[in-house]
Amino acid sequence: MTATPGHTSLYLPIGCEIISVSDLTPGEKLFRIRRADGVPLGHLPGQFVQVSLLGWGEAPISVASSPTREGFFELGVRRAGTLTGAMHALKAGDTLGIRGPFGRAFDLSRLRGQNLILISGGCGLAPMRSLIQYCEDRPAEFGSIAILYGAKSPADRLFKDELAVWEASARFACSMTVDNISVGDCFSGSVGLITALIPPLAFNPDSTIAAIVGPPAMYRAVIAELHKKGLPSERIIVSLERQMRCGVGKCGHCSIEHLLCCQDGPVFWLNEIEHLRGAL
Amino acid sequence: MKMLHPDQLDRFFASLAPTWELRLPILLPDGTRVIGCPNDAPHSLHGAPVAGKPTAAFFPQQSTLFTVTDGAIEEPPPADRPLFIVGFHPRDLACLRFIDRFFADGCRDDCYFRVRHGAAIGGLSGYCGPAGSLIPPAGGDCDVEFFWDRSSWLVIAYSATGNTLIADLPETAAPEAAELFPQLAAELPDENELLIRHASALLRANRVPDLFWADIGDRCIACTGCNLACPTCTCFGVQDWRSAQKTERSRMWDSCQLDGFMREAGGHNPLGSEAERTRRRIHHKLAADPEKWGEISCFLCGRCDSVCPTGIGIISVAREMVARFA
Repeated sequence: MTATPGHTSLYLPIGCEIISVSDLTPGEKLFRIRRADGVPLGHLPGQFVQVSLLGWGEAPISVASSPTREGFFELGVRRAGTLTGAMHALKAGDTLGIRGPFGRAFDLSRLRGQNLILISGGCGLAPMRSLIQYCEDRPAEFGSIAILYGAKSPADRLFKDELAVWEASARFACSMTVDNISVGDCFSGSVGLITALIPPLAFNPDSTIAAIVGPPAMYRAVIAELHKKGLPSERIIVSLERQMRCGVGKCGHCSIEHLLCCQDGPVFWLNEIEHLRGAL
Repeated sequence: MKMLHPDQLDRFFASLAPTWELRLPILLPDGTRVIGCPNDAPHSLHGAPVAGKPTAAFFPQQSTLFTVTDGAIEEPPPADRPLFIVGFHPRDLACLRFIDRFFADGCRDDCYFRVRHGAAIGGLSGYCGPAGSLIPPAGGDCDVEFFWDRSSWLVIAYSATGNTLIADLPETAAPEAAELFPQLAAELPDENELLIRHASALLRANRVPDLFWADIGDRCIACTGCNLACPTCTCFGVQDWRSAQKTERSRMWDSCQLDGFMREAGGHNPLGSEAERTRRRIHHKLAADPEKWGEISCFLCGRCDSVCPTGIGIISVAREMVARFA
């Protein structure tokens, strides 16, 4: 697709080129992309884009790489429907459209100087990775950083190579768990729910912020464990998944009572949304 | 104030045709009154509010966002002439004001304003309601208001565009709008106004239990008529249409009463039951929008109550809510 020069429409995608495609799991791929016009995406950790494939429509996908990694951006995409299925057939050199970045990012100004607990489950590691990479590239800006990650099985873990790097890094305290393990799986982490990784953590609630990205079923249980450790809702961040169709606050599909996930979120402070029906 | 005799209507509207793309309430062969092109059917300015969304000219059921032919993207061309739409009752004008604000807020929706920008709006009021009943005057929110005084249309302009539109009409010695309209409006206190505010207060105070929504949800047949008729419903989906020659991306009205409305790629559905979906429809207008926009976004046009086959339009639900929980 070639975008009309100088266009201003909210709904016109920008042409992008796929630099590389790699397998994350049997059902998930990582796409490294750049804008065809060479302009940086200009995103912040936690934001998303509307990926556009002509003839297939659009889908909201979180940006999985940090803006500190220049010259490209990355999207981790699970094959879940027709558009993502068509995406999985793409290869390096193919083109697609992007609108965005959209949404509210992680509040880096409030995260700076704090100890961080970054908790993700399943596909939630993709958007969390944008923040982890940011912390990795700006280590002096943050205090201690704990990475907690849960997946269904060892094979379902995303970014296995990077997880190994983070585990080995002195900068991060990395804990992993899987729901199930099969005979022959090579996995050194724990088996069980991600909530089990929180009680052993030692942290000062006054200087710690936790961020959570994961499947809907994960939030309440993880938040309960954090509350038990004395971390108040004002120090907990959640990034929520909703079905954003437009990304610009108009289509109504991502409403959470009076808020719109695509504009007011997807990253929220927990105290902003915990009282809203259906938010968690 | 200007005056327009009924036998001058056709000539007046015809005089605007070279400059404006005119839309009027027209009478279809089956008796339905809709806003349409005056060449398609006789105009019909008297009667109940027109069927369907009066705001559909600006937010139509389907709008093309762009087309792609041989790799080149093309947006819809601008209209040859701006629209002049007559037929908005005062409550419809309030709906239009609300969605103008909605589409302008934050990311300005160029697809909406491509048609809305430059368009002129004509309000209808006076003794032109069903069986000659009085429709209270709008007193603004439009470019021109046509007030039926039982023999003629009194025509009042509220904008520079409105003044231009009616410049050639004769002046009248009828009472000034400023004197006439507040008096007429005061004669028509609306019980539904009080009702909807009461229902909104109950919802915002969290005094409506889930069992109520389960009960209302059981009566919903998911026909989506309420959403499709509501002038302030603005939800839409986006889809591509492919042909051999081109691909078109368009948006189309969507309904929060459908199971798939909020279902996520991972299968999670925040509106996974009819009770949740029915609550969302009412709560959105009476509680969420007041929180976000500072006003209830139901302006009591009555369309959802008219079209709902099972009697759960917003006024009916509000009445039941107030009766049970006030």
